Amino acid sequence: MAAPSRQEIFKKVQQALVDALSVEENEVTEEATLTRDLQAESIDILDIVFRLEKAFNIKISQEELTPRDILSNPEYVNNRKLNAAGLAALKQRVKHADFSKFEQDPDIDKILDVFTVGTIVSFIEEKLAASQS
Amino acid sequence: MKFVLIDRIVELESGRRIVAEKALSLAEEYLADHFPRFPVLPGVLMLEAMVQAAAWVVRERLDFAPSLVLLKEARNVTYKSFVAPGQVLTVEAECLELTQRESTFAARGHLAGREIVKGRLVLRHLTLAEYDAGWADTDERLRTEQRARFALLWKGCPAAADRAAV
Amino acid sequence: MRWIWFDRFTEFVPGERAVAVKNVTLAEDHLHDHFGAFPVMPASLMIEGMAQTAGILVGQARNFTEKVILAKIKRAAFHRLVRPGQQIRFEARIEHLTDAAASTRGEIRCGNDLIAEVELVFSHIDQNISGLEFPDENFVFTEEFMALLKTYTQPAAENIPL
Repeated sequence: MAAPSRQEIFKKVQQALVDALSVEENEVTEEATLTRDLQAESIDILDIVFRLEKAFNIKISQEELTPRDILSNPEYVNNRKLNAAGLAALKQRVKHADFSKFEQDPDIDKILDVFTVGTIVSFIEEKLAASQS
Repeated sequence: MKFVLIDRIVELESGRRIVAEKALSLAEEYLADHFPRFPVLPGVLMLEAMVQAAAWVVRERLDFAPSLVLLKEARNVTYKSFVAPGQVLTVEAECLELTQRESTFAARGHLAGREIVKGRLVLRHLTLAEYDAGWADTDERLRTEQRARFALLWKGCPAAADRAAV
Repeated sequence: MRWIWFDRFTEFVPGERAVAVKNVTLAEDHLHDHFGAFPVMPASLMIEGMAQTAGILVGQARNFTEKVILAKIKRAAFHRLVRPGQQIRFEARIEHLTDAAASTRGEIRCGNDLIAEVELVFSHIDQNISGLEFPDENFVFTEEFMALLKTYTQPAAENIPL
């Protein structure tokens, strides 16, 4: 079976976000951030991950999105903020995310702010492609 | 225990919006079970407070015509923190749609200015006489109960102003 | 008023599914306020009955090591009234279970009638909430809840002839 197109993935992600967050379809754009624009709470992120696992028949671990080994590593974190090394390590691990605003104030409690709808779509696209090969 | 989850209505824009308060007291007996050594307002009672606040918007707007206003659907009710004894939960419900039969609200709860709960509510309004004319007197009793309760909660209404003037 | 919103487990398949029943009675104070002349079981308390049934199912699946609390009601949709003298049944199943959270789905029924559908997300709070202090012991799973589970798993003690 061929992997779904990005547009097909986007449609399913959009539906999951509309269902989980009581937002309108037109609010769920590629650029929208889950926490700032769509008002998702951390429990909503967990809910959304469960819905995506079901919708795409994949497993998504918390670690793939918010790697605890980086976020709780004293070599990477000072006073709950990531240092340059930590940021570099995070960017390597969590691809597709938008770090531009986060970099200005890399507070580990605000890590979820880096996830846009587009990030999620790309993340799933990559996972599905990997499972095909 | 009285199943009244709103202590006071603070603001009411007819048919549109309500702000109300629920104060939590250690005297509320169920707290001994929820939880031992960590008493907090149960999440479903935060929901009930939001439902009751929204229901007052419906009753006031429809002049207490429906004798029963009930929760039909709750969606995406998200809990972010706890309410402890001595604290006051401020509940706000904004009416998105209201007909004779049903209404939809976006509701929120704040604690000292910080949002701790939010959700979407659909309420169903009905009278018993719609289904069996023999229950019309019960509908009237229910309406009388609700009007009296509303007068206690909403100091902005004329009956309360008269009492204050005495 | 006690905060126990079901009376007995009738089924308990660890890690999968649980069914519990609750009798609705005029001895319950809150019914006389909801609504006085025409008592109906409040929807919010039926959601709690499901949350307690499902919460114990989730807690037991992790050996009661986590403090499992209700973090989100995804959807609770009600179709019928419940009145004194009726018995309602909470049928819950686990959909997802991880270190951080769990989701459950279930129905509330009265006889053959569907009363409600309830979908919940539970959080394992030690894992998820920073900056709040909790007592060490697992205050969520009280002795009363453990006794309800024990009544199901070890029923012999109930069959005592007088």
